[in-house]
Amino acid sequence: MSATSTTVNARRSRASFLRGATLGGGLAAAGVVLASRPERAGSAPSAERDAEILTFVLQVERLQAAFYGEAFDNGRIVGEPRELARVVGDHERAHVRFIERRLGRAPRPPRFDFGRATTDPAAFFEAGRRIEDIGVRAYNAQAPNLTDAALRVAARIVSVEARHAAWIRDLAGVDPAPDAAEPALSTEQVQAELRDTGFIR
Amino acid sequence: MTELRFDRLDTDGALVDAVAALHDQSRADFLRTAVVGSGALVALFARPTSAEARTRDVAILNFALVLEYLQAAFYTEVERIGNLNGPLERQSRIVGAHERAHVRAFRDALGRRAVARPRFDFGGATESPERFRRTAVGFEDLAVAAYKAQAPRIRSRAYLASALAIHAVEARHAAWIRRLAGVSPVLEAFDEPAGRTEVLRAVRATNFIATTRSRRSPRYTG
Repeated sequence: MSATSTTVNARRSRASFLRGATLGGGLAAAGVVLASRPERAGSAPSAERDAEILTFVLQVERLQAAFYGEAFDNGRIVGEPRELARVVGDHERAHVRFIERRLGRAPRPPRFDFGRATTDPAAFFEAGRRIEDIGVRAYNAQAPNLTDAALRVAARIVSVEARHAAWIRDLAGVDPAPDAAEPALSTEQVQAELRDTGFIR
Repeated sequence: MTELRFDRLDTDGALVDAVAALHDQSRADFLRTAVVGSGALVALFARPTSAEARTRDVAILNFALVLEYLQAAFYTEVERIGNLNGPLERQSRIVGAHERAHVRAFRDALGRRAVARPRFDFGGATESPERFRRTAVGFEDLAVAAYKAQAPRIRSRAYLASALAIHAVEARHAAWIRRLAGVSPVLEAFDEPAGRTEVLRAVRATNFIATTRSRRSPRYTG
């Protein structure tokens, strides 16, 4: 129920989300091209938009926190992957707490079902890689819509998500940094990718 | 392991030469804003006008360009010398291509306003795997911290999106090389920014920027 309300909430400013996402996407497609437009978005960032965006990224942070928590608790993921689950899980929980405090009133978290992804190493790598890449790209697409104060905090989180993504990708044997410029994902793309994981009940 | 630990601790004025213009530019911006505003506090928090915003954005982009020049030159030289193998060689090759792409992007965006590429002398840092790892960890963590401090100051929405896209990639580079160097890819739940002064101090301490208009000879102690 709360996953749905989050979607509705995020959809309110879809146009502005998409504007940000298109820019990032164009960047990635052209290698790295710095387009020149003199000002930030026409509709000014505001506390309300900050809250919408934070609510939107909160669902990714909650998914990540639950995922690593369960993987660690199950005890079937061992060695460096277990260390990753511990360290990254700590970070994701800290991000969730921070955003929830900042929001004051956050939607209730959904229930998750990670299937084999928290017990089988190969499934763990694949799931972790997906949700970390989604996290980095969700933040990056929305960050230009934030107020300066919120942007400063988001910038401190997004690089940590990018470090997580690179770590688990390297562990999984895939390129930790596949692009010269990080692609951005629109809210629709993020929602579709989250749905596609099958982890949200 | 987060802080820069380079072997050579000498400084020269070349980087300062390269960015002195930027400092002057931003100081001029600040003064102009302060005069226009009705009071110092108002001026500090006022959104700059378009022209002022553009001037400041150019200064930020040029600052980022200097860091990208430094990184690109480093990885390019590493590749040319060819003393790395395996995962380290792969990392240096892929990351080097990214840093060169960043340089091109900033130069294209800045056009004639782009600062010139300084000359570099990396000493032995590009020659042994051990020194490469240590230097690369320092560069990548520094770049992440520098972009994190500068990005929120950018007024142009497009430049901001670009800086954030590069910022995340530098963080991926940092985690990658840290893991190859045997240290934790990520330290805290929130990464720390580093302001321009702090970044310049760290870069100057490496002595990697060769003096272009030599007024002083390099100082080697011991």
